[in-house]
Amino acid sequence: MGEMIKLGVVLMLVALIAAVALGLVNSQTAPIIAVQQEMAKQEAMSRVALNLVQDGDSPAFDSIAVEGLENPYASADELLSVVRVTNDAHPEGIGFVFVAYGKGYSSTIQTMVAVDSDGIIAGTTILYQSETPGLGANIEQPARLITHLDGLDAPDCMLTKDGGRIDSMTGCTITSRAVVNSIREGLEAMESAGLFDDAGMVGWQVDPPPEQDESIEEAPAASDSTMEETPDVGAVSEGGSL
Amino acid sequence: MSLAKDLSNGIYRENPVFKLALGMCPFLAVTTSVENALGMGAAATFVLVCSNFLVSLFRNLIPSKVRIPCYIVIIATFVTLVDMVMNAYLPDLHKSLGIFIPLIVVNCIILGRAEGFANRNPVLSSLADGIGMGAGFTLAMVILASFRELLGNGTWLNMSVLGQSYSSQPLLIAILSPGAFILLAFILGFFNVLENRKGGGR
Repeated sequence: MGEMIKLGVVLMLVALIAAVALGLVNSQTAPIIAVQQEMAKQEAMSRVALNLVQDGDSPAFDSIAVEGLENPYASADELLSVVRVTNDAHPEGIGFVFVAYGKGYSSTIQTMVAVDSDGIIAGTTILYQSETPGLGANIEQPARLITHLDGLDAPDCMLTKDGGRIDSMTGCTITSRAVVNSIREGLEAMESAGLFDDAGMVGWQVDPPPEQDESIEEAPAASDSTMEETPDVGAVSEGGSL
Repeated sequence: MSLAKDLSNGIYRENPVFKLALGMCPFLAVTTSVENALGMGAAATFVLVCSNFLVSLFRNLIPSKVRIPCYIVIIATFVTLVDMVMNAYLPDLHKSLGIFIPLIVVNCIILGRAEGFANRNPVLSSLADGIGMGAGFTLAMVILASFRELLGNGTWLNMSVLGQSYSSQPLLIAILSPGAFILLAFILGFFNVLENRKGGGR
């Protein structure tokens, strides 16, 4: 009995010292981490919005509440929030920035997207992903999928094999589809809420997006879907639902 | 044992991966690129040295019946500290290593060395052992990662080696999980052949 108390006291002391050390370090680092994440967010917004503004012009960002905006990311437990981009010449706004959440192969991929006021993608950057290193994780690398999104509108923002205009990356169709579909869902929600000017959206009416979920089931047969796919094809259908 | 011997022990004679077959989970999981292997190796080495130091320092104070929980608390504390400090002061490095750092807690090399070496050896030897084992682990990961990145992506440390024509149609299996097992078997076989050649192979 006496020994058990002694062992318990030792364990408690060890845990106490560890907890105090962690608490002290956390109280020091938490504010720095928060500041850094905020800075990283600002920096990412400035980066994706680069194509919206003229050279040397600095855009301003303010979060806006949009009436009638449906949240397409409920299945990922995330909320679509829209930030309006303005500059001195156009205080009424030159475009929007939002974060798209798509369920990829092994993580929920967060993509920050800038669109102009016509709903055309002007820039994208991956904020977070933890996909397979060497395969899906390559989505962040320059000249891969995300750089081909600029200039597309919602109907085109879909993988070629699903009827859109973006080639998926070899070996990571799930990752590619998650990013592309999450962006399109965000764009469609913003369009439905009437955020975009109609002038630039002619193609929207003429060429409705072929967004049946059935197209997803064909995926495993497609040429460049490889081993990464097979265990987990069912997970994709969540990404396709609006 | 001399310090130099403690240091070199982990690099070849008792290489944690190739000879002791410890730490296989992170070893197979993160060796998809040389960059990942170096990062994981560096982080694991840091935690290994710190935990060896503390375990050795308090080896006479911790009752043997509760030593394993104590070691785990020590290791987990260091891993969390590394995670928080790196996130605050080296955000870029943290971003590229972020997913590997929590994995270090379950790296059995660290618990294995705390249990197998540091709790019965003096502080300096334990430090040397930690550095040696960490270097051995890093070396082993870089070897496997070199094969996997070269065959599976045509690059080494993100530099193109085998040319664009190879990179567009690489031997993809090398970078996927089955490739890790297959290549590991070849490497282990190679080390066994070496051992047998020297004679006295068990």
